[in-house]
Amino acid sequence: MSAPASPVHAAGHTPGESKFHIFVQLAMILSIITGVEIIMVYLPFAHWLLFGTLAILSAVKFMFVIFYFMHLRWDKVFCTVLFFIGLILAGGTMWALLKIFGADASKPLTMGYLHQAPSSIVQSV
Amino acid sequence: MSSTATVAIDHHHDPSTTTGIPNKKLLMWTFLASDCMFFGCLISTHLIYRLHPPPGNPSPREIFNPPLTSFSTFILLMSSLLMALAVNAIQRGNVRSMRHMLLGTIFFGCIFLTCQVYEFTDFVMDKHMTITNCILGSTFFTLTGTHGCHVAIGVLWLVLMYIRSFQPADVSTNRLWFGRTLLHIAGFIAAIGLTMYLVLDFVHMAQAGTLSGYLGKDALAIAGAIIAYIGLNLLTRTRGAVDFGEVNAIDVESMGLYWHFVDIVWIVIFTVVYLLEYI
Amino acid sequence: MEDALVKNNFITEGHPAPARHLVLWRPTAKTGLISWLTTVDHKRIGFLYGISALFFFLVGGCEALLIRLQLAVPNNDLLTAQQYNRMFTMHGTTMIFLAVMPLSAAFFNFIMPLQIGARDVAFPRLNAFSYWVFLVGAIIINLGWFMKDGPPNGGWFGYAPLTTRAFIPGHSIDMWVMGLQLLGVASIAASLNFIVTIINLRAPGMTMMRLPVFTWMTLFTAFLIVLAFPAITIALIELMMDRLFGTNFFEVSNGGLPILWQHLFWVFGHPEVYILILPGMGIISEIIPTFARKPLFGYPIVVFSGASIGFLGFAVWSHHMFTTGLGTMATAAFSLATMAIAVPTGVKIFNWIGTLWGGHLQMRTPMMFALGFVWMFMIGGFSGIMHAAAPADAQQHDSYFVIAHFHYVLIGGSLFALLAGIHYWFPLMFGRKVSEFWGKLSFWVIFIGFNTTFFPMHFLGLNGMPRRTFTYDSNMGWNEGNLIATIGALILGVGVAIYFGVMIYTYFKGERVGRDTWDARTLEWSLACPPPEYNYAVIPTVHERDAWWYEKHHQAEMEKEKAVHAKEEAAHGGIHMPFQSIYPFIASVGILIAAIGISVLDANPAPGIHLKLGTTLVGGVIMFIGIYLWALEGAPGYHIHPEPEKNSAASPKQEAHQ
Repeated sequence: MSAPASPVHAAGHTPGESKFHIFVQLAMILSIITGVEIIMVYLPFAHWLLFGTLAILSAVKFMFVIFYFMHLRWDKVFCTVLFFIGLILAGGTMWALLKIFGADASKPLTMGYLHQAPSSIVQSV
Repeated sequence: MSSTATVAIDHHHDPSTTTGIPNKKLLMWTFLASDCMFFGCLISTHLIYRLHPPPGNPSPREIFNPPLTSFSTFILLMSSLLMALAVNAIQRGNVRSMRHMLLGTIFFGCIFLTCQVYEFTDFVMDKHMTITNCILGSTFFTLTGTHGCHVAIGVLWLVLMYIRSFQPADVSTNRLWFGRTLLHIAGFIAAIGLTMYLVLDFVHMAQAGTLSGYLGKDALAIAGAIIAYIGLNLLTRTRGAVDFGEVNAIDVESMGLYWHFVDIVWIVIFTVVYLLEYI
Repeated sequence: MEDALVKNNFITEGHPAPARHLVLWRPTAKTGLISWLTTVDHKRIGFLYGISALFFFLVGGCEALLIRLQLAVPNNDLLTAQQYNRMFTMHGTTMIFLAVMPLSAAFFNFIMPLQIGARDVAFPRLNAFSYWVFLVGAIIINLGWFMKDGPPNGGWFGYAPLTTRAFIPGHSIDMWVMGLQLLGVASIAASLNFIVTIINLRAPGMTMMRLPVFTWMTLFTAFLIVLAFPAITIALIELMMDRLFGTNFFEVSNGGLPILWQHLFWVFGHPEVYILILPGMGIISEIIPTFARKPLFGYPIVVFSGASIGFLGFAVWSHHMFTTGLGTMATAAFSLATMAIAVPTGVKIFNWIGTLWGGHLQMRTPMMFALGFVWMFMIGGFSGIMHAAAPADAQQHDSYFVIAHFHYVLIGGSLFALLAGIHYWFPLMFGRKVSEFWGKLSFWVIFIGFNTTFFPMHFLGLNGMPRRTFTYDSNMGWNEGNLIATIGALILGVGVAIYFGVMIYTYFKGERVGRDTWDARTLEWSLACPPPEYNYAVIPTVHERDAWWYEKHHQAEMEKEKAVHAKEEAAHGGIHMPFQSIYPFIASVGILIAAIGISVLDANPAPGIHLKLGTTLVGGVIMFIGIYLWALEGAPGYHIHPEPEKNSAASPKQEAHQ
């Protein structure tokens, strides 16, 4: 068995050393985490606890994939910066949109109109 | 059987660029940052419409199929592993191993797509949720369908890369290679499509209990065609030197980045679209 | 610049690539139509963008004149209401996407690689592809002029549910959606290219803090594009799905929320306006130091402000929606963020003024436009700050006050800067200089016309005149304002005509110039006018900001360095040039056909759906083939050895055709 993790160099990579074992071990960890997530949602825990744990577990899987499978751990840090700019912006926009639409002011006024038949001017495609 | 470069290649440092990051890698990471915004907005749309669902909309809990979706998630994660191994292989100049890993990735990617097609037909046929008859249908099918399109494009790219790895090094003595390449592409896609059809048909019949009729002429003919194609492939593939090797690792790596990204988008979708509905 | 990851067969001594299959044809024409269709030269692509942009600028200008003529007097009947809707929709869409953005792209393409000491962008064929897809998008948007359904008529922002099939069933909106999607693809592809180029292809010694400000602004604009366009891509996909497949994203009766369109659109739309202004700010930041004979005041803070504007630009989108009932928290938050974004903008203005202060000002034409920019953009900024206060905006929203605001920042800002840039870089691009008299005349006529048109609109807006209405009654108190605005528009039209006339004349018969016409500061001016195909015979080494200024004042040192570099490059086999390629063009043709299938053809009356699907499929296949062959042909190139530098008295044309 070769050494489990590749040592972090100045260049961040030992040329010639295969990452086969790291990848396989990681895939197993990811599967286990997925399994835990699936089981968890059926457990009678508080909403906030489940939500938080799911979020954290997903984030952990996410980070493992990008830093190991996608190699960010061993690449120049600028690649990480680049991707996180997009990620944070997307996350921030999503958060803002959900906050706006979740606010009281954005609640649809009445559900009553939804029970009417579709307007006669709506044409079928 | 790979053409070797005149200098040892450092796959993490390109001396001809200012930062040392290979241009294609930088391009792909920037594109993925852009794609984050793309899926971010699409996922936002779905979540926004889940905030105040109109009455009469189907409830996700009633129609979603957790075992199927969990299986798909696992499949996609495994395909990510195989992709990483493919990149790893070609970075060490091992074209044969890369090909096997690519085939594995394609295979798992197709399983994911098959599961998704199954899920969609189940929702439409049995659960009566279509893309047009309710808002949940519109957002769900658009979001997961767009992700599925990304997977399909990825599979196509993988197939093309796989076939490309057989390009003969000396085209002057292999004049027919281009025509054969086109036939290979067509054949591969057809084989994938037909296999998916056969599998889905099998599953539906098994569920309906009409499996005995499955081994009819059509199924055998299609299966025969697929096996014949694979056999032809194995017999007529390029022997000898190919124009593919460690120098192409950057292209395989870029493709790998795209494929892993599709996987992490699925991780997010799986959590917020499926799992969150159950808590 | 040996790329260790490129395959062997490019390291050939001046030979073309080894025998290839017929299908992978290598175009080699340097002149004629094929050379333009297959070009990958960033300078040529920049020129193509520029010519297209200027053409569509005239189209958009005609649309504007028609609007103004219709509004010159009350109760006018020059245009019907329906025609008027098409005019303001097309005017906005054309000016933003087909005039200002491609004109900026023209400068990004031509100037930025020269400023960083590169020989081309990182992905030359992708660059060509961006241009051709842009052209396809422009065609799709304008096809409606020739069709029964007419051109797009739902406003440049296409608000749902007006743009859903229920209210505009014809293909005008389909073409708008499709065209905009393609323009987005083109912009994103180009921006990805520019980001990689600026990060990775800088000359030795060109650190990020030595980059010219125009290059920095190119970088920020490119980031804005790749991060903002996905939002409109999603919005357009949702609208298209509603229109084509009957989904419910904006269908109220089935749970849709049209307000979502507004959010998604403006998540894109606000960064878009910074995309429109940042390149202009970059151009001004080059021109003012050159003609003030001083380096830019506060370079680091100017760069940092550009980054801040870009970043904050993503946090203010709902200031376009203050009147939609967002709720107190959201309104306050966006109002605050909008006021905050004025700060870095103001900082830049102070820095430009600081550059002028104590400088030895040369009032040449580019400088006049630049000064006009600073002043006019400030006025536009003041009205913008007034919008930022949500209560005030409640009155100003959808009134002519908004039109005044954005025309001050777009014409007084972006357009002035772009017109300045054309004057400034004209000698570099074409080897000729515009006459000072005619240049200044065009400036003054444009300046007077522009202010006469848009200043009264502030008052019209505050007096209640709404946007997007095709006529008004004579007892509203708006008559004089509108008449003055229309007269101004005609003066502006004359000014633009003079400007264009002068440019065309100068291109053919203008005074010829040698190198470095303006005794400027940045690297692009070190080249012959126009530059040779390979740009730099020897890649320069950069020692300081304003690299060319440094070179001019340290000539002996530079001579020695260049001799060393020249030997190194010759030892590597000479200058590596990319091959031309037809595949970006072919892929774009496929996209055009598919786009027509999706957005123009009818699904319903026969041949209907078969023709629609068939056309889309054929287009898709052609696109796929183009992309596949593009990938297959790879990116080898050929080598050339540059001629020894000719002196500036030689004919510029000869140098360009080496």
